[in-house]
Formats: sequence, structure tokens, C-alpha cells
Amino acid sequence: MSLTLISFLLFVLKAFVVVMFAMNVAVILTWADRRQGAMIQDRVGPNRAVAWIPTFVAQGLALGPALLVVGAVAFALLKLEPPPEELGQRAMLFSQLGILFTWLTFAVVAGKVQTRGPQSSLDGWLSGIGDPRRIFYAGLIAHFLALFVGLALNDSAFGPQIRALGYGCGAGLLIFSVLGGAAYAAFSIRNEPRVGLRLAGLLHPAADGLKTIFKEDFIPPNADRLLHSLAPFISFFPALVVMAVIPFGDTLCFTIKNGGLGSLMSSMPRDGVCQAAGSLRLQVVDLDVGLLYFFALAGTGIVGAALAGWASDNKYSLLGGVRAASQMVSYEVTMGLTLVGAVMVYGTLRVDKMIEWQSQNAWGIFVQPVAFFLFFTASVAESKRIPFDIPEGESEIVAGYFTEYAGMKFAMFFFAEYIAVVTSAGLMSAIFLGGWDLPFLYRDGVHIAIGGTVLFEQGLPHVLVVVVGALGFVLKTLTLCWLQLMIRWTLPRFRYDQLMRLGWRKLLPASLANVLATGLIVMAIVSAGPEVGQFMALLADCTKAFLAIGGLGGLIYFIVFLVKPVHKRQTLSSSSAQYAIAAGGTRSSRMSA
Amino acid sequence: MKNETVALGPNQVVGAPVPRPQRSASVQTYIPEIAKGLGITMKHFFQNTKEMAFGQRNDPVLEGIEDGINCISYPEQKRPYPARFRGVHRLTQREDGAPRCVACLCCSTACPAQCIHIEAGEYPEGDPRRGYERFPKRFVIDELRCIFCGFCVEACPVDAIRMDTGVHAAPYDSREQFIFEKDILMGFPGRDGSRLTGNSRHEPGEGGHPGVDRDKH
Repeated sequence: MSLTLISFLLFVLKAFVVVMFAMNVAVILTWADRRQGAMIQDRVGPNRAVAWIPTFVAQGLALGPALLVVGAVAFALLKLEPPPEELGQRAMLFSQLGILFTWLTFAVVAGKVQTRGPQSSLDGWLSGIGDPRRIFYAGLIAHFLALFVGLALNDSAFGPQIRALGYGCGAGLLIFSVLGGAAYAAFSIRNEPRVGLRLAGLLHPAADGLKTIFKEDFIPPNADRLLHSLAPFISFFPALVVMAVIPFGDTLCFTIKNGGLGSLMSSMPRDGVCQAAGSLRLQVVDLDVGLLYFFALAGTGIVGAALAGWASDNKYSLLGGVRAASQMVSYEVTMGLTLVGAVMVYGTLRVDKMIEWQSQNAWGIFVQPVAFFLFFTASVAESKRIPFDIPEGESEIVAGYFTEYAGMKFAMFFFAEYIAVVTSAGLMSAIFLGGWDLPFLYRDGVHIAIGGTVLFEQGLPHVLVVVVGALGFVLKTLTLCWLQLMIRWTLPRFRYDQLMRLGWRKLLPASLANVLATGLIVMAIVSAGPEVGQFMALLADCTKAFLAIGGLGGLIYFIVFLVKPVHKRQTLSSSSAQYAIAAGGTRSSRMSA
Repeated sequence: MKNETVALGPNQVVGAPVPRPQRSASVQTYIPEIAKGLGITMKHFFQNTKEMAFGQRNDPVLEGIEDGINCISYPEQKRPYPARFRGVHRLTQREDGAPRCVACLCCSTACPAQCIHIEAGEYPEGDPRRGYERFPKRFVIDELRCIFCGFCVEACPVDAIRMDTGVHAAPYDSREQFIFEKDILMGFPGRDGSRLTGNSRHEPGEGGHPGVDRDKH
């Protein structure tokens, strides 16, 4: 195959991946938004959609992936003999994974047994352990013991035996826990006539989507039929195609083999640059005007909302359309001007170059904190969501510009709103949170260094680095989406004049001041000597250390939060409570989730 | 100058002036307050999500006073009704399965909604109860008319009609389905699972029975 055909196919594949990511996250967000809102207000929220599947299919779903994992591990164990110098690493990896999966399986099963009561002799033994937390503590101790033994005895006389032991036992534990957990799950549902697949309620958006497709497509009699039907598409597509300029991972490098792409590079030098022919950018299109493309298309979304308002032949729709247009135009100005500061620092309009700058220096949120804050506010306003949702203010103008829409066209406006959330989160994570960059993770592997002092170094394969980076980008994007949903459930709606005052009198001057201050500081640093440059590099390393330590601390805090016991007081004030006690409580029913 | 009465405005309204709320700098800049609000939202979100995921959420009845998710997912989850809840009626039975009802019409007389219809009948010849009491040939309650006031239970002299089934009136498709005949009413158990009552009763011929007979007296 020729190179152009391959690159065309790769382009289609990348576009498919990005569109699927944005649309799926948006669909999930429409549901997660409601579900989170309910959970915050101490309710359960939409989680009742269920697909009933026969028991043997459910058992197959539990056992099939487990068998695949076991087969892969067994293949690695029997067929892929690791080179002796890598045996230590493999042994460490397998033993830690084995211990992790073992205690995780036992803890999950013990938790289940605790809530539903023992049903077999294994259950009885598990409930004899008592609190499932003890399994977690034992697992933690086993992790540290294995780590300590591996590190301490690796170079001693017992080194080879210890390595072989860790390698074999780790793989054995992995196989045992994965297969055992799946078999336990398949065994415990054997008497159920059917099994409900709920996915924590994730089937709800799918059911909603199916429903909207089959709903009546109503067009008001005096509406402009063409424009009324066109408007949802005009607001939907710009929101979606914006993702094209946002890279979702580092460049994948290939070797060149007789004119075509060869295999993936096994590892990369730290500042390695791929040859143009042998590289695969994880970005749909390569645009030198990347950021301008974003603003050009984000501006097009205004037309959809305004058109919908105008074409509906309804006063409230018209008001909503006018409100949407004025609001989006106003906040577009702030959005553009806030990024001017970032563009000045990074010296490029290409988003992938911006991420590379951040990976070599510091994340944008440390370089341009004010710009991040302003851009976040403006992009929430741009997606017309609470607290800036006056274009659809239900209490004033029914539903604003999509009052006269029903079925799938209404859903497309809704969908466009959530895709705008995803794309703006993706852009923010690329420009301000380093995109696919993770602290101290470089192209050649982990490299922890503050200033000139190297603390830790570990080479990693090229593919692993790129995949971990892409996962980091997804995680950052989802976190920013989640933050926008949290804001939506915290703040009340602005009044129209407050919105305009905030946009023009507060955010716009602040973004102009940010541009001025950035320009002065950049000038000062450039004209200062190399000592200042070195100091800035040290500061940049400190921000990375701050991120790494903060992330680790956050993780520990989260685990402590999860393990912390919950104390509830029972209040028995009614005869209902007596009946509830006799029935074993109202909580443990099928819906208790 | 607190709480001093002053006349205000052109109409000289008299009243204590309400002081303007003291808005500190942190409130006026809006951002710290947003952060505080977000913190509260996230606290609830994480706590509730954790409790849902780990099966630690409140029992909505027993732990309903605690913070957290207290809602009941009806109809999968149900709040048990209190002991004296007036549910669908039942006709209690004797030890041998005959209705305790003696067809005295006290309940249908007491009923303010007039939803009880009783046709009385005599026990067959030779039955020890014949001549002492009657039995309902038909005992019909229109559950759609019933207002669940419980007067019938109060009126019954032999503890034959009770509303202790713990079942609330169910919705049906047609009006006919709300007409509960005697066999349906006798089929419901009480909340303790028994179709009898706790009150003892002496059948004619047993020791302790007064031996009163309608034909002789």
C-alpha cells in the first residue's frame, strides 16, 4: 500500500476515535449531570435502566475476559522467556499485580458477603475474617513486603531464586485471583433466572437516545421549515469538529521500512523527534492556525442558536436566540483575549507545540493562572450552561431558543451543549493542564530531577509512554468536565444584566490586564540574563514536583477517605422502624445499588 | 443607636430600621464564596457516591435522621407501614375456616361511604351455630368507594372485619376489580401472617360459651 492511502486511513481512524470520544463522553455527561445532581441533593437519581440477560450469558461475560487474561499471562509465562537482565523488573511487576488483584478480589467478595449474608462455606470463611478492611491492610503489608524483599535481596546471593520466585508466584497469584473472582461471580448467580445489567445506570442515556429518535418531529406551522431543521445541525457540528485540532497523545514514531511504515520504535531518546515520514501524530489534523480554527468554528455555533430562535416563529424562542447570540459574542471576546497571553508565552498557535512547551517547562496553569480562571469562566458561559444559561432560562422564557423543538432535534441542541463542555475541557486541558504531559514523564521514561540533581531515572518503552500520556489527557478532560458539572449544581443563574456586566466590565478588562502583564514579564525574562532563565527552569521543576507530590497526596487522602469507617446512628421512633428491623432493614433490597 | 424607633419616608412609617447585611470583602469578590459552595457540593457528592458504591448508604427508615441518601426507590424499596396503618380490609376466620362474621350489619350501618353490602344467611340444619348466629352469604366491599376511615372495624362486635393487612389499596384496570367479594376478603392474612385474630372466641357447645340461643330466648 502506498503511504498516502495509509495516511488517509489513519486520518479516518483518528477522526473516528476523536468523534466517538467526544460524543460518548457527551452522552454519558447528559446522564452523569442528572445523576450527580441527585447524589448531591441526597437522592439516587436516574439509575434504573436495566437490560435483562440470561444467566449463562452473564456467566460467560464474567468468565470470558478472565480466561483471556489468564491465557495472556500463561502465554507470557510459558512462551516469552524474559532476558535475564529484565527478569527482576518482570518479577516485581508480576508480584505486585498478583498481590493487588488478590486482595482486591477478596475485598470485593467479602464486601458483597457482608451486605448480602453468607450463602456458601467460602462465604462463611470470608465473613469469619470480619471487616473487609482487614483484607486491604493485609494486601498493603504484602505490597510493601514484596517490594522490600525484591529490592533488598535482588543483589544478594539469593537474587536469582528470589526473582524466579517473584515471577512465578506473582503470575500464579494473578491467574488465581482473576479466575477465582470470575468463577465466584459465575457461581453465585447460578440460581438466578436472569441477571440485570445496570452498569450503575449507564444504560439510561442509551434508552433516552433511542426514545428521542422515535419521538414526533414537530415543526410549528408558521416556522421556516428549512432553517428550523437546519439550526440543530449548525449548532451541533461546530461543537464536534473543534476536537480535530486538539492532540490526544504524543506523536507515535515508526521505523521506515522500504518506503512504508515499519514497526513502532521500541524506545525514544528524551528529546527525540520522529522523521516526518515515520511519525503518527495523535491529532486529527495538523493546522498551523490551530487555535484560530477553534475560535472560527466555536463562533459558528452562535449562528445555530440564533437561527433556531428566529426560525421557530415564537416570541420566547426569538428572545432566547437573541440572548444566546449576544452572550456568546460577548464571551467570545474574553475567550480570545485570555488566550493571547498563553500564545505570547508559548510562541505558537499550534496546540501540539503548546503541549510540548509545557512538557519542557511548566504547565500553563502555573504560567497563566489568571488566564486559566478567565478562560474557564468564559467557556462555561460560551457553552450556555448554568450559571450562564439565560438563553434557555426556564423561569422567564419557557426553554429559550429550543422551545419549539422536539425529539431528536431538541436532543441535538442538548447534545451540542454537552459536546461543547467536552471540547472546551479538552482545549483547557491541552492549553493549561499540559495535555498528554504528566509530571516527570518524558519520551524516554520517568526522569525525576530538580534543577541539576537527578533523583530517579527509569527508562520506559515508547508505546507505554504514549499510552499513559493519552490516558492522562483523557483523565484531565474528564476532570474538567466534572468540574463544570459541579459548578452547574452549585451556582444559581445570573440575571441578564449581571451576565453582561461580568463579561464586559470584569472579565474583559481582566483579560486585557493579563495580556499587558504577560507581555511585560515575558519581555523582562527574555532581556534578563541566563541566571534568570536557570531560576525559571528551577521554578518549573518545582511546579512539576508540586504536581507529583500533590497528586500522590491526593491519592493517599482519597484512599484514607474510602477506608474510613462510616458511623450511623439508628433512630427507632416509630412502629415502622420495628417492622423494618424485623425485615432486616429497608436498605438491602434489589435497588440499594 | 440600635433599635431606636424612627419615622421613615414621606408617609412617616414608624419602625426599627433593618441594618444592611455586612458584606465582607470575601463575599463581595464572589470567588471565595464560589469555592466554599463548590467544596460543600463536592463533599456531598463524594460522601454519597462512596456510600452508594460500598453499600453503606443510610437505611431510609432506621437511619433516616443521618446525613446522606435517605430516599426510598419505590416500588423496589418500600417503607414499612406503621402498626396501626389502615390497609385493605380482611374478614377474619374461625379455627375451622368459617368466617367470624355473624352478619349483624353493624359495619355496613356504620360505614359513612356505604361501601359494604352484606347478605345474611342461616347456617344449615344441624350446625351447632344455627339458631345462635347467622353468617354472611355475600360480603362485598367496594374498595373504590371506601374512604379507609376504619369505622367498620370499630363497629364490629365479633372482631370479624379488620384493616391490619398492611396492604394499601392497589390500582386496578377496571371498576369491577375493586369489588372485593367474601372469598377475596377472607383470603388476606393479617400482618402477622395469620387469618385468625388474637381475640379468643368460644364456639357454641364449648366450655365457657354462655349457651345463649336465639330460638329459645
